[in-house]
Amino acid sequence: MFEQFTDLVPSFFGWINQGPMTLTIFLHTIIVLPMFWIYKQEKARLEQEG
Amino acid sequence: MANKSVWSDNRFWQRSAAWVTGFASVLLIWLTFDTMGQIAIGTDADLQSGVTKRVPGPTVINYKISYEMSTKRGHEVPVIGEKEKFFGRDDYSEEEAGALLHLGKLGSQAKNCMNCHTLLGNGAYYAPDLTKAWLDPAWQDGGTMQAMTGKSTKEEAMAEFLQHPSTYPTHSRMMPNLGITAQEAKGLVAFLKHMSSIDTNGFPRNFGRMQGAVNGK
Repeated sequence: MFEQFTDLVPSFFGWINQGPMTLTIFLHTIIVLPMFWIYKQEKARLEQEG
Repeated sequence: MANKSVWSDNRFWQRSAAWVTGFASVLLIWLTFDTMGQIAIGTDADLQSGVTKRVPGPTVINYKISYEMSTKRGHEVPVIGEKEKFFGRDDYSEEEAGALLHLGKLGSQAKNCMNCHTLLGNGAYYAPDLTKAWLDPAWQDGGTMQAMTGKSTKEEAMAEFLQHPSTYPTHSRMMPNLGITAQEAKGLVAFLKHMSSIDTNGFPRNFGRMQGAVNGK
């Protein structure tokens, strides 16, 4: 899954993108995780209102 | 309503959309600046001290450029080697080389090379890809294109061809005469030489290596 770092100019995205799909998986993870938090907050609010 | 689902709640979707849009905006702005760093042109000092840049400085025209397979990266990469004469000189200053490249770039735009050729992935495939044209085996010593023009160096052969393309029958899709002057041709060849030194992650793939290749494609 993790391969040698081969980019010429070092960058954060180059570091993340070390293998197939790793950048995609990383970005989707940090986008989706806060949505669980939003979901839980909204659920708690609806229960309180109910 | 006691059993209202979160999935049918407007606020959940509003907040999610705001988060995704906001994150994507920040990411795109960050990527823009990251890319600017990646594609920034190098300097003469970089070349002399061996600092690798994706886009080397204009004085790269003073050096020999070869295209070598990198097993680490899995494709060919341009390698900047020893000094090499370009139109009889290997001491172009940063200003001179920059001016020559600028002339070549303006020339390539004025003559609309991209209408038929491809440069760094932009343009057409009616005519050969020019991204690595400088490294095309046909223009090297002993190559068919160089031999056809009767010149003894790659740059002179390319300049000669650019000035009188319609006199050299290369292909059924022959390049038309575009009225390119000697100075413009020199600029264009410098532009092509610099472009071939740009690290394009192996694009175009297998350049000049395919069986039965025509003009390096």
